[in-house]
Amino acid sequence: MKKILLLLVAASLFWAGPVFSSDTIRIGLMCPLTGSWASEGQDMRRIVELLADEINEQGGILGKTVEVVVADDGGDPRTAATAAQRLVQRDVVGVIGTYGSSITEASQNIYAATGTLQIANGSTSVRLSEKGLPYFFRTCPRDDEQGRVAVETMLADGHDKIAILHDSTTYARGLADEARALIDASAAEVVFFDALTPGEQDYTTILTQIRGNNPDVVFFTGYYPEAGMLLRQKLEMGLDTPFIGGDANNNPDLVKIAGARAGAGFRFLSPPVPGDLPSPEAKAFLDAYNEAYGQAPGSIWAVLAGDGFRVLAKAIEETGSTDTDTIADYLKNGLSEFPGLTGTIDFDDKGDRIGDVYRVYEVDDEGRFVLQM
Amino acid sequence: MTVAARKIKKPLYAVIAACWLAAPFFLGNYQLDVLNNIAIYALLGLSLNIILGYAGMFHMGHGAFFAVGAYTTAVINTTWGVPVLWLLPLSGVAAGLFALVVAKPIIHLRGDYLLIVTIGMVEIVRIALVNNVFGITGGSNGIFGIDAPSLFGRTISGIVAPGDYFYLVTAFLAFTITVFYLLEHSRFGRALQFLNQDPVAAEGSGIDTARYRLAAFGIGAFWAGMVGNLYASKITFISPESFSFWESVVMFMIVILGGAGSIPGVLLGAFLIIGLPELFQGLQQYRLLLFGIVLVAMMIFRPQGILPPAPRSYGVAEDDGENGGQNSAQDGASGGEVRP
Repeated sequence: MKKILLLLVAASLFWAGPVFSSDTIRIGLMCPLTGSWASEGQDMRRIVELLADEINEQGGILGKTVEVVVADDGGDPRTAATAAQRLVQRDVVGVIGTYGSSITEASQNIYAATGTLQIANGSTSVRLSEKGLPYFFRTCPRDDEQGRVAVETMLADGHDKIAILHDSTTYARGLADEARALIDASAAEVVFFDALTPGEQDYTTILTQIRGNNPDVVFFTGYYPEAGMLLRQKLEMGLDTPFIGGDANNNPDLVKIAGARAGAGFRFLSPPVPGDLPSPEAKAFLDAYNEAYGQAPGSIWAVLAGDGFRVLAKAIEETGSTDTDTIADYLKNGLSEFPGLTGTIDFDDKGDRIGDVYRVYEVDDEGRFVLQM
Repeated sequence: MTVAARKIKKPLYAVIAACWLAAPFFLGNYQLDVLNNIAIYALLGLSLNIILGYAGMFHMGHGAFFAVGAYTTAVINTTWGVPVLWLLPLSGVAAGLFALVVAKPIIHLRGDYLLIVTIGMVEIVRIALVNNVFGITGGSNGIFGIDAPSLFGRTISGIVAPGDYFYLVTAFLAFTITVFYLLEHSRFGRALQFLNQDPVAAEGSGIDTARYRLAAFGIGAFWAGMVGNLYASKITFISPESFSFWESVVMFMIVILGGAGSIPGVLLGAFLIIGLPELFQGLQQYRLLLFGIVLVAMMIFRPQGILPPAPRSYGVAEDDGENGGQNSAQDGASGGEVRP
């Protein structure tokens, strides 16, 4: 019986209702604090809380203190749906997050149904903003943006016989299809389009096939372990066609697998790593983050959550309102060239970010990733 | 069990049921959503209880059947627009058939060997879903736009109105508890418990153990498939992440922690396993740490589960409930079976 009583007491704490107060502005943050993406989530929380503290030190928004309400989505759709209900009930003005596309998708309908603004930071799936949800925004680029930048880069280098290699995963296949459609529409042609099997040790067969088609450049849309093997075996075979990879290659292990000699000259697309962020706002932010936590933020996706917070704060400030429709309208039509941490920010009618986020990186002779433009 | 404890049991259950039913009048959407999740996992725990609790088969791949049911609903509903509640039995049948096919060759495996095979099964299902098997599962992006259930022209959305959905899932939970209670006390239920206690004696008493085990798998999976239907229509979006190996572990924990073979135990297990992490939300990233500590502590102090099944008692004389209960603990359960 004692145990049951204890449980009841614990349960009653849990049901305690939200406390409303009018001198704070609540902004929700939905992030994976637990689960396999926990490091992303921790970073997101640190960044958003740091930015909120900065705003509060300067007097808050519209004279009110900003309170960040954090909910853990666990990197799992079910937990995310509950987290979304929790944030909505806490009466937040808007929600920042989250990282995974399917996690965002599970929460999207709840925010849409309750008229809550959502600014996702790492969900790149094209579908999310194609549903016509009026209050959905994201600070990250879409998957099709990457295909566009990749093709533009290859065409700008004057390549016109292009080989595309993917690994049959949804992400890689989607990127490959995207690139193929764009190349077909241009003057260049796709001379090779096929998949390799991830996780194997020997890719010389597929490299020989590629050589037979004599392409100017190979676009590999898969992940870094296979890219590393391909680069090493390409060097062993004496194949000197340049390779370019997608953003799943932005991992230092790439060079460990390939070796510095084989890796040199490989290029890949990626949003800039935090250390390479271009704007003066970014510099100031990185310094503040370093001072607060003694290290640099690990990934670009968490910094994009910071950008989500900053545009939301800006919108509330500018419109003088916490009404969802007013803010959404301002973000779509009023906001122009906002100086974000990751470059200038504008949103189109779907709530997608306009402007270039992807950059080209090249591996140098010592295996470092160097920003190209 | 003392007479006093038995006397208090019925009113206690009534109070809990009344509180549960009255919950939507007092609670917000978030708390109701948590209760909905608890109910869904209670249902999953009850369905796994048939296999793991009564028949004693270490099955850690229950998420696979859950996934088959949810995907059956999602695919048919989004492709042909069939109302989701009509698909409830169909999702169950799909999961049940799947279970019969995959369990048939592995049913003779014992204990941890079966455990390993079932872990493999749930992973294969998840990977098949990620790889967009038959081109209908939507790959790693999953399927979105599943309809909310509607009953008598009223849409019961788990998103907009968790209170409405709460009564739907509660009705199904009540139905499930009734059916499983009857099952537990039926010839079939007793046979499962018998072959769990002593397969050789059960075989010797004329129980076709392989067939009964397979039937347990079939029923457990059938029910999990139906819960998959409810889950898919609640969240309206499913992806392979929803059916990871961890989900199967959670169901396993609910049954083992609550008390394998005991319906109240499984219900309490669901409440603790799904409810506690939400209670600890304020601790943010440490919440699962504390959750883990609680689990370890419970396993140390109550290895048999919090509410293990009470020993079976069969009244010999009208006024003698207690003695019979004490003496005929296990023999009572099996004795009922072998008697012609």
